[in-house]
This record gives sequence, structure tokens and C-alpha cells, in this order.
Amino acid sequence: MREKIQKIRENFELEFRQFQEIDFLRLSLSDAEGLMRNLQEFKAKHTGKKSEIAEAKKLIKEIPPEERAEFGRSVQEAERQMLSLIQEAEKRLKDFIAETKIRRETLDVTIPGFRWRTGHLHPITILRQKIEDIFVSMGYAVEDDREIENDYYNFDALNIPEGHPAREAQDTFYTTKGLALRSQTSTVQIRAMERRGVPIRIIAPGKVFRNDTPDPTHVPMFHQVEGLCVDKGISMAHLKGTVAEWLRRLFGKETKIRMRPSYFPFTEPSAEFDCSCFKCSGTGIFQDEKCRPCKGTGWIELGGCGMVHPNVLKNCGVNPEIYSGFAFGFGLERMCAMLYSIDDIRLMFENDIRFLRQFR
Amino acid sequence: MNISYNWLKDLIEIELSPYELAEKLTNAGLAVDSVERFGDDYVLVFDLTSNRSDCLSHLGIAREVKALTGKELKLSYNDPEVASARTETADNLETKLNASPCGLVTIEAPDLCYRFTARIIKNVKVEKSPEWLIRRLEAVGERAINNIADITNYVMHELGQPMHAFDLDKLTENRIVVRRARKGEKIKTLDEVERNLDETMLAICDAEKPVAVAGIMGGFHSGISENTKNVLLEVAYFDRNSIRQTSRKLKLSTEASYRFERGVDIENLIRASDRATELICEIAGGEADAFVDVYPTKRSELAVSLRPQKIKTLLGYDVEVEEIKRILSLLGFKLKDEFSNGLSFVVPSWRHDVSIEEDLVEEIARILGYDRIQEEIPPSFGAGEYQPSEERKRNLRKTLANMGFDEAISYSFIDASHDARFEIVPNLVNENLQEKFITLMDSIIEGAVRMRPTLLSGLLDAVRTNFNRGERNLKLFEIGRVFAAFDDKEGAFPIERELFAMVITGGLMLEGRALPTREVDFYDLKGALEASFEALQLPFCEFVEKDIKHLRKGQSALVKVGGKEVGYIGRLSDGISEIYKFRQPVFVAEVDLQTLLEFEPVKPIYQPLPIYPSIIRDTAFLVKGNVNFAQIKESLEKEAFQNLSKIEFVELYQGKELAGDERSLTIRFEFRSNEKTLTEEEAEESHNRIVEFLEEKFGIRKRF
Ligand SMILES: [Zn+2]
Repeated sequence: MREKIQKIRENFELEFRQFQEIDFLRLSLSDAEGLMRNLQEFKAKHTGKKSEIAEAKKLIKEIPPEERAEFGRSVQEAERQMLSLIQEAEKRLKDFIAETKIRRETLDVTIPGFRWRTGHLHPITILRQKIEDIFVSMGYAVEDDREIENDYYNFDALNIPEGHPAREAQDTFYTTKGLALRSQTSTVQIRAMERRGVPIRIIAPGKVFRNDTPDPTHVPMFHQVEGLCVDKGISMAHLKGTVAEWLRRLFGKETKIRMRPSYFPFTEPSAEFDCSCFKCSGTGIFQDEKCRPCKGTGWIELGGCGMVHPNVLKNCGVNPEIYSGFAFGFGLERMCAMLYSIDDIRLMFENDIRFLRQFR
Repeated sequence: MNISYNWLKDLIEIELSPYELAEKLTNAGLAVDSVERFGDDYVLVFDLTSNRSDCLSHLGIAREVKALTGKELKLSYNDPEVASARTETADNLETKLNASPCGLVTIEAPDLCYRFTARIIKNVKVEKSPEWLIRRLEAVGERAINNIADITNYVMHELGQPMHAFDLDKLTENRIVVRRARKGEKIKTLDEVERNLDETMLAICDAEKPVAVAGIMGGFHSGISENTKNVLLEVAYFDRNSIRQTSRKLKLSTEASYRFERGVDIENLIRASDRATELICEIAGGEADAFVDVYPTKRSELAVSLRPQKIKTLLGYDVEVEEIKRILSLLGFKLKDEFSNGLSFVVPSWRHDVSIEEDLVEEIARILGYDRIQEEIPPSFGAGEYQPSEERKRNLRKTLANMGFDEAISYSFIDASHDARFEIVPNLVNENLQEKFITLMDSIIEGAVRMRPTLLSGLLDAVRTNFNRGERNLKLFEIGRVFAAFDDKEGAFPIERELFAMVITGGLMLEGRALPTREVDFYDLKGALEASFEALQLPFCEFVEKDIKHLRKGQSALVKVGGKEVGYIGRLSDGISEIYKFRQPVFVAEVDLQTLLEFEPVKPIYQPLPIYPSIIRDTAFLVKGNVNFAQIKESLEKEAFQNLSKIEFVELYQGKELAGDERSLTIRFEFRSNEKTLTEEEAEESHNRIVEFLEEKFGIRKRF
């Protein structure tokens, strides 16, 4: 009987070798899963109800009673040992399979997430919306009007008489029917005052046109924002304060402004307004080099402004002895170019997506 | 305009460095662009505003320096008033006379030539100018010619008065007649160009013919040459408009015409003439001879009053009366009168830009410096307002950006040949007009003379640009105005209407990933348009199959919103694709945004949530090409089948095993009752009735 058990164990060990001598380094997941299936079959074969050891157990009746206890122990011992070997092999394989699966299903968490490509608003739109928000919060109404105007609104009402250099310049576009593409958004001042009367506070963003040869700083169509405030007792101090306030809201609290005397037919006194350079904070030096946006001056020229000319007020039926007002205007392309260090404003109208996608 | 620092110092004492001076002048409204070294001198490069013609000379700038620093001018030559007094007694002229008694000068057009002085200088030697003179001219950017021409140039830059020297012996009868040119008269000017004059132009003539175009350029034959012995020096004042118009007509602008058309100082003529005479005698060795001054059109003196209260109103701060007087007198304004509430000042003859009270306020403000102005916020007034449609437009833009569309802005003028390619959005063009579109007289961009009636031309150009730069997956939109004629009448304002257009082409892209998920198609663009309408809170929209000029047959539709025709959508036709050399399908849509915004925003209305569950049936039908989903859906909704709560599109299949124009259209029907839970049998019964109805109405069969 002992020999029989010995024989069973030897058979087991011979067959079990395939599970004991696994080269895990070269084992593929599918081979491991195959081995696992084999191991289950093997387990059933050697420890199941129809296994040799089970058969051997049945022989206990043929054993003399005094030897039965010992026989029983040795069978159980053999069975236990086989089972434990199988379980160990099972665990090794199971761990290997689990580990391999995790390794195989490990993600590269750094690749981009799944989302549709989003688009971008034009930098001019982004800036225009910001400026509109600021002015609306300061009590201004956003206005707009015709882009094709007649000479009255484009020139005469703005105190630019025939023969005036600003009018003589060859840069106004005319239609074959004698109308002008507005050369400044100041036209909206007139139309808005006619429509709303005074007191009035408006800004008018919009397209304007000048027959200029395109170059890095000129384009034949661009955007302007015009501001107008007319009321009793409005002074140049209000102009300066208002310009300073909205520039601080746009560029930051530290922004300083300055005004320099200038000339525009529709304002008197007139001024240019500059703001302290947002890149170098007005020092003229950025990272030990001459600052580019302000050309090292610390100031950036933004636009023109002044007190509304009494003739302009009169043209709109407003009595300049009772009312006074200020107006200002500036170009969005120029401001955009400054803000984003764009050195060629023609890019704004090429609609190259590599350009457009840089703005949010 | 260039100003030499050293030259300026000849005219006024300056304690400031050139850089300090430049800053001071800039802050007073005379913008100095740059200061450049020029040997032992500095050159201040000015960018003057067009109103300050009085500053187009060293004298002009010196006057400003005087106002800013209080130093006196040190002119070594005659004060204009002394000079004019001298000549009037010397020649004993009657001011009304249009001609000098000796007959040297006759003004036949006193409306165009207000004043004319002539000086005869005899026995000059024309040669190269001395070195100092050449250097000074070079400093201000002038090229030396000969001593006589150089001196006239020099005095113009010094005193601001253009002048012209004639060879006296070349003038027929040695005399000058100032008159309008006669029809057909010609003159070869100093630049050796033959120019045709007309009756509107003022000419300086001798007894026979024009010898100079007044105020613009002298004649070639009467000019100074090596052999010139005797000179007639013209120093005059011409009507500004006349000079300007002639200069435009002849397309000839000179340093002289530039100054005359902006306005020179009519009271400065004799001083300028004397200065040039002095220099010619000194340098060219001539002898001063006869001088005449014919001044038929006297300048009227202009007085402007100023109330200190106006200063306070406009500038926000008070200026003492004594301070007002001090500043304005430094600038050459003479106090004329003092009232209880103000003062009146005589405007100096060189200031053509001052005529009203506000101008005087600006003079005071700029001399005191704009830094003096405080920062104040006006008292509050009322709530701000956006444009009424701004919120909806911002929603639209945001929605489009979220769907991957980049925003384009294109020029409003396009090539006139382009508008014939496109079907213009409905109700924009007045077909009864001869000229339906708006055209520009000329454009700086070759050929771009049409004010665009469509945004598509610009968007397709953008597609081309991006293709050229290697970007083939594009989604672009533009919101902007288009233009069309409203009326045939001269001066009638055209229609300006805001449109919205989109273009897509290439693949559907994911952020940060290189390959498209698939190529775009008609439905991608349609989806984007539908989402746009939703963002605009519009009433129901319809897409009606229609042939459109610029779109491919079978892939184009008319877009209707709330029953109104608003635009078109579809795949760009092969013909247009060929013009733009597109080698991949391009889809475009254009709609009339302005009309869309006239619809009141549709507000959502709450629908009670269903209580009972629904039963769903997906059914595939075999449909003929002329039957579409919208027709089926509409007819079922009209029939109001019992318990049919929803009709949804599932799939459209055009397999090869299907005959001809047949397609397999799968539709999902949802059945639900508001009273009870439906049984399968009840749903089945409704469904069967629908299938029967559709077969009867459209002749379409259920496949499965
Ligand atoms: Zn800077």
C-alpha cells in the first residue's frame, strides 16, 4: 500500500514539474492563463473525486485495522502536500496574471484628454467686449451707427470744413455715389446726440476705413472706440479721470496716464493720451533691455481726446454755453498689438488660425 | 519738420539741453519725435499738428520757447512793424492800390494774392554757398543748390516765409503781373516738367507769360542761373485755398505750397524780404535796389474774448487774470479790452488756428502743461447699456467657439468679380436697381472696390490662406456687415446689414491630438447652425432642399427661421472650389443675423414631467428620394396619433443593395399615455396605424 502511495506521489511530482519550473520572465499573459487552466485540470485530476488518491482512500477497508490509522495519516499527508503544492503554484500564477494585467492596462495619464477642439474669438472681439464691459459698468451706453456715411456726418458736423487737411488727405474711401466710408467713429457722436440729446454718455466701437497702403502699422480697415460724455459742468479733469479710470480697469491699478496737447478739429482743447507701459511699468526697461512696446520711453500712445468743440455741440443742437463735454477715441488694433506684442497688425485680418488660436 | 538747435539759439537764449527742450515743447503740443546729433549741432525732428503752420520755422519755434521760458527773442533784423512803416513812407503807397507806382508789380487778382513785395538786387554773383549756410540747410534736410536759391530756402526755414528769386533780365519788360492763368497757358517749372495751367490757378507772370505757379514753384526759364546778374525777389501772401487747390490739381506739393496752404504770416513779408536781401548782398555781393510792397487785401484784425470762468469750466481749475495776461502776451496776443467778466485779445497775425474762446483756453492749458489738470470722475448719471442684441451675440460667439469655430474678421471690401459667384442672402438685394451693390471709387487694395454683399468671399479667402500655410482642418465664422444699394438716388444711404457666416472643411479635430476623428460633412455644419439658433433663442427653424448658385446640387438648403427665409447652407459647388483651388469638400452657411435678432428671444415654458413609462418602437422604412424626414415627421404631428409622444430620427442608410434613389430611414416612435401605463398591445396598435398611414400617404414600406 505504501508503495502505491509512493507511486501516486511520484506521478504527481513528475507531472507537477511543469507548474513548478515556470520561467515567469518569458511567460506571456495568454500562456499564463493557459497554464492556469491546465493547473485546474491537473488539480481535479490529482485531488478530485476521481483522482488516484481518492481511489487509494477507498482501499482503506482492505488494510488491516491496526495499520489503518497510519495508512490514513499517510494518505492524508500525501493529499495535503499535493494540495499545498498546487495551491502555491496557483497563487504564483494568479499573482503573475493579476500583475501582468495591471501592467498591461496601465495608462499613460499624460496624454491629452478627450475633448473636441475649441475655437477662439478674434482678439479684437475679446478686447472690445472687455472695454464695453468696463464702460457699461461706468454708466455708458454702447452705440453704433452707419459705416457708410455722407460728408456731413463724416466731416462737416465734426467741424472739418471743406479744404481742411484732415479732409483733403487722400485716405478717405468714397463710393461711386459720393458717400464716404467713415474714417472715424466720431460720426456716431453726432448721430447719438441727435437721437438721444444731452446729457449723454456713450461709447461707440466700430469699423473705420482709411485708404492707406497696408504695412506693419497700417491697414485700410480697423476698429476704433469712441467715447463721448456731455453734461453740465463737464471739464477736462473729468476727461482725464475717466480715461485714467478705464485704463486702470483694463491694464491694472498701477497704470498712470498723461495727456499732451494736440489738435483735432472736433475738440478744443485737444490732447493725446498715453498710458504708462504695462510691460515695463513705465520704467522703459524690461529684463535689462530697452522695452519694446514703449520703445524705452515708458509711455504708450493710445489715442486722442479733448473737450467737444462748441461747433460740434451746436451742430447737434446743444448749447455750448450750458453744456460741455469730452470725447476720446482710440484704435483697437493698436491697443491689441501693444497688449500682445504683435509687431504686424495686418495679421489681424489674415484669419490665419495659427494666429487666432493664440488668444482667449 | 527739422529744427537746428544752434540756429534756434541764434534767435532766442536757451538754457535747456536739446533733450530737455524737446520734452518741454512736446508737452506744450509741439511734438518732437526725436533729437538727433548733427556734428556740433542737434536736430529736433518735429511732428507738428496741421493747425500749427506758424511753427514751421525757427522763428515759430523760438516764439514757443519764449512763451515757455520767458526769454526774449533776439532778432538782429527788422521788426515787422518798423519795416512796414519804413516801406510805406519810402514808396509812399496808397494801400488800396493794386499796383506799385513804378509799374514793377501789378496784382490783377487781389482775391488770390493779398500782398506782394518785390525787391530788386543788382549785380549778384551766383555761385556755391558758403560752408556755414550749406551746413545749416543740411541740418534741416535741404540740399544746397546755389547761393541765391539757398538763401531763399534759408530764410524760409528761419522765418517761415517761402519766397522766390527771379532772374530779372529774363522777365519780359522787367515787371511782374499777378493774375489768374489763361486757358491753355503752359509753364515749364523748375523741376523741368511742362505743366498746363487753367483759369482757377494763380500765376506770377511777366508782361507776357506765366513765370511761376504762385506759391508752388517757379518757372524754369526765369529761374536763377550761373549767368544771373540781377534778381527780383518775390515775397508774397496767397489765398490758402487757391494754393491748395492748384497744388492738388497739378499734383505738385512743395515746401512753399505746404506753408502757403496752411497759412503764413502776412505781416512778416517785409522782414523776410529784408533778411534775404541782407544775406544776398552779404554772400552774393549784390546791391539792394528798388523795393515795392503791394498790399491790396488787408488782413482784418481778429479779437477773441476770454472769460476766466470758461477756463474753470473747461479745465477744471482757476487761472488768475494776471496769469492769463502774462501767458497770452508771451504768445504774442495783445490785450485789447478788459470787461467785468472777461478779457479780449488780438490774435497775432501768424496764428491762423485761433478764433474762438476755447482756442485761448487751450493756449493757456498747454503752456501751463496738461499735468496741471486733475483726475476727476464725473458725477454718476445712470445705468450703462449694451447694444440691445449684445447678450445674444455674445452667446452666439461663445457657442461657436465652444464648438471649435475660430472667429475671422475680413476686409469689408472685396473684388467686384466675387459677388456674382454667390447667392446673396434673401431680401438684401433690390433686384429692380441698375446698380445693386456699393462700389468704391478706388481702393488701395488692387481690385477690392466692392463693399461686400456677402461674408463668404472673405471666409473662403481665409480658407485659402490657411490651406497655403498647411492647415487643412478649419472651422471659421464671421459676424459682420454687408452692403447693398437701397436706392438709385445720389446720396441715398445704402443698406448695411449684419450677417453671420460659417465655413468648415477637413477633419473633426480633438484638442491636443494630431489626427481627425473623421472628415466633416453637411450635418456637422447644420448642427453648428442649429446650435447657433439655439444660442440666439430663436423660434423653430427649417431647412428646405433648394438649388443655390454657390452650393453643390443635392447638398444645399434654404434656411428658414420662424417662417422667414434667412440664408443658405450647403457644400460649396465644384465650380467655386475650383476657383479657389480647394481639393477637399468645403461647407458654408450664411444667414441674415440682423433679421434673426428681430425675433423676440423664445423663453422656455415648463412642461410637466411624464408620470407613466413610455414604450419605444424603432422602425426602418424604405423611402423614395423625394420623401424626407421632415415631411414624415410633420404629417405625423399633424395627424396627432393617439399616445404618440415623440418622433426621433435614428439612422439614414443608403446601401448598394437598395434600388436607385431608395434609402432606409429608421425612425424611433415613443408612445406614452398621460392617464395610465400603456400595454404592449396598445402601443403596437398605434404603431401599426402609423405604419399604415405612412404607406398610404407616402408609399413607403416598413423594412423591419
Ligand atoms: Zn515699456
